[in-house]
Amino acid sequence: MTFSDTLIQSYSAIKTQPVRVLLIILAMSIGIASVTVLTALGESARLYIVNEFEALGTHLVIVLPGRAETTGGHPPIFGETPRDLTLADAQALFRSRNIAAIAPINIGAAPVSTKGLERETTIIGSTASLRRVRHLNMAQGRFLPDTDTNKILSVCVIGQTIKNELFAQQQALGQWLRINDRRFRVIGVLSSEGQSIGVDFDDMVIIPVTAAQTLFNTQSLFRILLEAKSKPAMYKAVDEIKDIIKARHDGEDDVTLITQDSVVKTFDDILMALTLAVTSIASISLAVAGILVMNVMWVSVSQRTSEIGLLKALGATKRQIMYLFLSEAAILSIAGALTGLILGKATLFILQTVYPDFPVYLPTWAVFAALAVALLTALIFGVLPAKQAAEMNPVTALRRK
Amino acid sequence: MHYLDIINLSFRTVISQKLRSILTALGLIIGIAAVIILTSIGRGIHSYVLAEFTQFGTNLIAVFPGKTTTLGLSGATISTVRPLSMADALSLSKLDNILAALPLVQGNARIEAGKKQRRTTVLGVGAAVPEIWKIKVATGRFLPANEQTNPRAFAVLGHKLALELFGDNNPLGQRIRIGSDRFRVLGVMEKKGQMLGFDMDDTIYIPTAKALALFDRESLMEIDLLYKSNMSVKTIEKSIKRLLQLRHGREDFTLITQDQMLKSIDSILNILTLAVAALGSISLLVGSVGILTIMTIAVSERISEIGLLRAVGAEQGTIFKLFLSEALVLSFAGGSIGVLLGLLIVYLISFTLPNLPVQLAWLYIMAAFAISLLIGLAAGVIPAMKAARLHPLDALRSE
Repeated sequence: MTFSDTLIQSYSAIKTQPVRVLLIILAMSIGIASVTVLTALGESARLYIVNEFEALGTHLVIVLPGRAETTGGHPPIFGETPRDLTLADAQALFRSRNIAAIAPINIGAAPVSTKGLERETTIIGSTASLRRVRHLNMAQGRFLPDTDTNKILSVCVIGQTIKNELFAQQQALGQWLRINDRRFRVIGVLSSEGQSIGVDFDDMVIIPVTAAQTLFNTQSLFRILLEAKSKPAMYKAVDEIKDIIKARHDGEDDVTLITQDSVVKTFDDILMALTLAVTSIASISLAVAGILVMNVMWVSVSQRTSEIGLLKALGATKRQIMYLFLSEAAILSIAGALTGLILGKATLFILQTVYPDFPVYLPTWAVFAALAVALLTALIFGVLPAKQAAEMNPVTALRRK
Repeated sequence: MHYLDIINLSFRTVISQKLRSILTALGLIIGIAAVIILTSIGRGIHSYVLAEFTQFGTNLIAVFPGKTTTLGLSGATISTVRPLSMADALSLSKLDNILAALPLVQGNARIEAGKKQRRTTVLGVGAAVPEIWKIKVATGRFLPANEQTNPRAFAVLGHKLALELFGDNNPLGQRIRIGSDRFRVLGVMEKKGQMLGFDMDDTIYIPTAKALALFDRESLMEIDLLYKSNMSVKTIEKSIKRLLQLRHGREDFTLITQDQMLKSIDSILNILTLAVAALGSISLLVGSVGILTIMTIAVSERISEIGLLRAVGAEQGTIFKLFLSEALVLSFAGGSIGVLLGLLIVYLISFTLPNLPVQLAWLYIMAAFAISLLIGLAAGVIPAMKAARLHPLDALRSE
């Protein structure tokens, strides 16, 4: 019996039981569809988050004041320390040759107003480098000028939400904006970024860092953002920053450094684990479908006992009988897997049309994995019934009705 | 035919096809057990997180500086032109129905005790910490009350910090240095453990005014208020808002009640449990297709038997009931074994992995069992109808 004979034989055996076949395909396809949909959702979420973090900047290093003794715990988020991280600290970091740009950050909340309209918003104090480090795009005008940081310039750059709320239907550039008790001239409007990892650049006003320090009456910085020249330079920069700050802080190591790739990696790992967990829960259903395949194969073996006896009497080997039943199981599962893939694709397509903002992507490996798993399930669960068929004694098998 | 006879007969049919019945039930068993285990884990996480939040007590209101708060961390917490001051906290504590007010500043500093030192979280707090945060002093006492504006330099150590700095020695009365200021140790807190990733034991408590000076800031980060449990949150909220608006001239603060927070956490976690239950029930769905398949096969195999039954006088309804009850027996067996297996595994988990919070979600367990019976009904109806509709003569004639 050639390979194609085996296939044709099992195909014709399948064709005689259309209802049964449809049900098995249904069971298998539910399993495969849920696994593919969940894998795709998990993978897309992972890619989405990783992209968001990568869009934050390139070779980004964040310096926060304060350091906790236990590693691996929360970094000191609030960053209140007895010894401030100052502008002078930030400028001193230029001594490291691995750093391409430095953006000191000051953050706070203050009411901003213009012509009777007021809104409380987040104020960021920084320098011209922030645009480069954080990859900000301008919709109109220009970003903070690249001047001596110690000079207080009364200019500001506003986000889209601020523009729409305070300067609706009018030109914002060149207008005065009052932040608490000071006036700032609007020199630029950021293009809309949307929410990026909890930071809404649209609802924000960016002013020179020294202006922010006077506004909030503080000399400490909230963070320093750095862009390293290259990836290897980033690791060197981390060590150098530690040394520079330590030397400036009386030999005390009191800052925490976070590199962008460590953050990306953490999230990558977490989401990968999550995807795996969800997928494995869904694949329990594949095991259930496998049991069903086994059950039906068993029924089919017992129903076709006399047929098996006849085949054996005509000289079919054990191996041929076994292949016959195995290929029947395989055809059923592959059909189920293909249906499941189509079903999964359709679900994803519907999801994509409903949520166009969230890019859904089905990795190619998931398609092949689904097919492989389905085939494997069929073979594992088909082997026992097929073996039973193969081991039958032709005489007793023929005698049975 | 008597109901007992029907059940008896279908039970015997199920038993006669042992392997087939076991495999069919196995599909259901796996599905039900998966639902039970997953919802138990979901439920466990739910009550674990809620317990973490309620250990601070439920009649708490937190006041934050700044109007807009996203996830509790707004720019205003870092620095603001409209600070929330110590005086605000003081006058809030004098409101009716407010039992205690806790002005809070948080930071990070190096603590030195003799030759030992450790960087740790510094909490600038008031005397009300044991009362509001429900955390007890192990030795010594907590910061003295009535010293809000001009406090003496006392400090209370967290359990772990005391151990790291003083080892087996008695820390009470010892001098320590925080940043550049000197403090005297007044007490040590009892062990509290991690609270949502934040180590409560690796902290030091100092008076708020001292912390403000240490960190050189004027605004508090948060004021926690404890109110009388018999009062409604709404009234309290209103009186807090009125007072602060009078003091500040405008609403430049945000109130978050423990109630609100618990409610939103509760709903998020409920959705989580529902989601894992849904994931688990995919297997249940596949298992039900299994029962349907097997029942279809059973009907087609036993056509002549049906014919015989009809010929000796069984009515259509009897045949229908016979096959339906067979499906029910299968699904009942699968459902109950699945529930037992799920319970067993949940107990095993809680026994072997005591750190993983599991809690039986009885509602989901009962729902799973009910669904397994429903599956039996639904999967049995079509094949049973097909069996009942068979013409006795044709059925008898077929082989």
